[in-house]
Amino acid sequence: MSLVVVLATPLVGAILLVVARGIAARVLHLLATVLTAAAAGAVAVQVSHAGSIVALGGLFRADGLSAWMIGLIALVSLLAAIEAPYTVPSAAVGRFRPLFHLFVFTMLLAVATDDVGLMWVAIEGTTLASVFLVNLERSRASLEAAYKYLLICSVGVAIAFIGTVLVYFADIHQFGHEAHALRWTTLVRLAPGLPPRVVELAFVFLLVGYGTKAGLAPMHTWLPDAHSEAPAPVSALMSGVLLSVGVYALVRFKTVVDLSGGPEFTQRLLLALGLTSIATAAVFLWAPTNYKRMLAYSSIEHIGVVCLGLGFGGLAGVGGAVLHVANHALAKSALFVLSGRIRAAYGSAEISAVTGLLGTMPVTGGLFLLAMLAIMGLPPFGLFVSEVLIFSAGFQSGHGIIAATGLLLLVGAFAGLLRNAHRMLYGTPAPAIVDVPGLRSAVPTGLALLLLTLTGVAWPPGLAAALDHIARLLGQ
Amino acid sequence: MTAEPITTATNFLAFLGLVSTLMIVWRQNWAGRRRLFVVQSLLLAALATTIAVYGHRAELFLVAAIVVLLKAWLIPRILGRMAAGTPPRPVAPGRSAGLSLLAVGSLIVAAYVIMLPVTTVSDLPTVGGIPLTFAMALIGLFVTVTGRDVLGHILGFLMFENGIFGLALLATYGLPGIVEAGVFLDLLVIVLIMEGVVLRIRREHDSIAVDRLRELRG
Repeated sequence: MSLVVVLATPLVGAILLVVARGIAARVLHLLATVLTAAAAGAVAVQVSHAGSIVALGGLFRADGLSAWMIGLIALVSLLAAIEAPYTVPSAAVGRFRPLFHLFVFTMLLAVATDDVGLMWVAIEGTTLASVFLVNLERSRASLEAAYKYLLICSVGVAIAFIGTVLVYFADIHQFGHEAHALRWTTLVRLAPGLPPRVVELAFVFLLVGYGTKAGLAPMHTWLPDAHSEAPAPVSALMSGVLLSVGVYALVRFKTVVDLSGGPEFTQRLLLALGLTSIATAAVFLWAPTNYKRMLAYSSIEHIGVVCLGLGFGGLAGVGGAVLHVANHALAKSALFVLSGRIRAAYGSAEISAVTGLLGTMPVTGGLFLLAMLAIMGLPPFGLFVSEVLIFSAGFQSGHGIIAATGLLLLVGAFAGLLRNAHRMLYGTPAPAIVDVPGLRSAVPTGLALLLLTLTGVAWPPGLAAALDHIARLLGQ
Repeated sequence: MTAEPITTATNFLAFLGLVSTLMIVWRQNWAGRRRLFVVQSLLLAALATTIAVYGHRAELFLVAAIVVLLKAWLIPRILGRMAAGTPPRPVAPGRSAGLSLLAVGSLIVAAYVIMLPVTTVSDLPTVGGIPLTFAMALIGLFVTVTGRDVLGHILGFLMFENGIFGLALLATYGLPGIVEAGVFLDLLVIVLIMEGVVLRIRREHDSIAVDRLRELRG
């Protein structure tokens, strides 16, 4: 029931918001956002008790990993919706609201369905729903970003479709046209009997396809443009959870491929792409001119770290990767909404245009500093813990050289981020700029940072068990 | 050994599909390319019908009808609207079709090699066409990547999608209905969004050549 509500609420909200005007639209927007979050919470509670829940004859299914993703999507969309009034131009609000909920719906659908075919449709849908959000400000640059985003991601996801077709082929070749052959639960059950060469070939297509959506280098080229041109709440959603939805799709198929032909094949590929992504990001993080692009490249870096965790494998590697997805979602969405405020105040997204941020906007600047420290992987924030988990898994699983290289690249990325953050935060304050008034505006991002310290220093009861459970679900 | 009729028919249709794809690469005239795309889509509808008859998959008749409606009529019409106002000109100025055809020829070889794991395990009567349709998809990808304007990109993407559709038909006799429906819907929405984007680009840049899209770097 709660699974149906969590999907239906943003969809119905999006449809109603197309026609709603004025105060009705504001109420609907608020209602849809809050209800989605509440239903997501209900799903998480139910899954933590029952292990997994299903709806509509098993078409929709949430296990630990799905619930984890549903919770993250709801959390980040809540943050994005609360922050939207500060950064979305009022002329565009009418277009923003329905597309926002449609975008959230497609992401929730992708992680809440058991059918990998429907998951493909939903992930393609995320592109279609968000392309006009990227172009919300209707500038030349944002139009170009939207076009690149639509074309590259559509082609990428079509490549993933070839992979899906090949998995389906392997399935019915071995077991005939049985009902629900494309359900993930069916695939996992039949996986040991699937022809390994075919599913491995399928995984290559799936990795290139969903890897494009996840922003893995070298398929990442759409990402810095789309993230920097989209309005801040949309960037927060894209970077915070959309990329992880791409990783989620990969993880589902990885489990099937591993059961068919052993884990070495997928692990090697994930390690290679993970390392490439971190290296690409580390290079570009040295001299970005635009701070939203800087944050986008940092997302590529962290998706690379997640891939390393999946590639190292084991309970610590996979559990660490799952935790890292959540940590990154919290830290990066906070950073993007703050960058939206900075851009609104300074009127520019260029790093050189922003000086003395801490003096000019003490609240926003202070939060920005804390979130930057978090994203660099410093304690007491959660990213430090998940990175330690991932890299220790790497050393323990005999991937010492890869783990060491990854750590070195991470230090490079760290230095780049630090250098640019320093340029923005200190220096002469800009005189004519005032901060968003009141400490109340600091509450949402403050809460996100607080959650990050929880995953960093004091794990809430049940978190360790949940991560273990998810890692075992994925065949570890 | 005489081949079964389904093998002969699907192999022949897949071969014709590949020929139509090659001709799209060879033709430099936009209207001619669009007509060839219609031919390619009709061939795929015929392929779906063939499998519906010999493979006893009644739902593929519906799929074939949708392909005719969507890919041979509606989408080409939208493409025509998008191109209105663009003067007919060589699609890739300064490049001869000969070089493209050479690249495409090696893609066909690559398609056979890449699909080896599938063709060696499969005992389907339609297995012969699988590398041919995959080659169609690869060539579509090639046209997308080398396209110099928005129309080239979208045509390449549609060819790519057609190739994958043919591959799915031959390898699996059609995907589950919900996926098939989602694919068609996605495709239509992509083309409609592309049309919107093309209109905006044309207004902003007075041209749809992608060389003009160069504001975002680094």
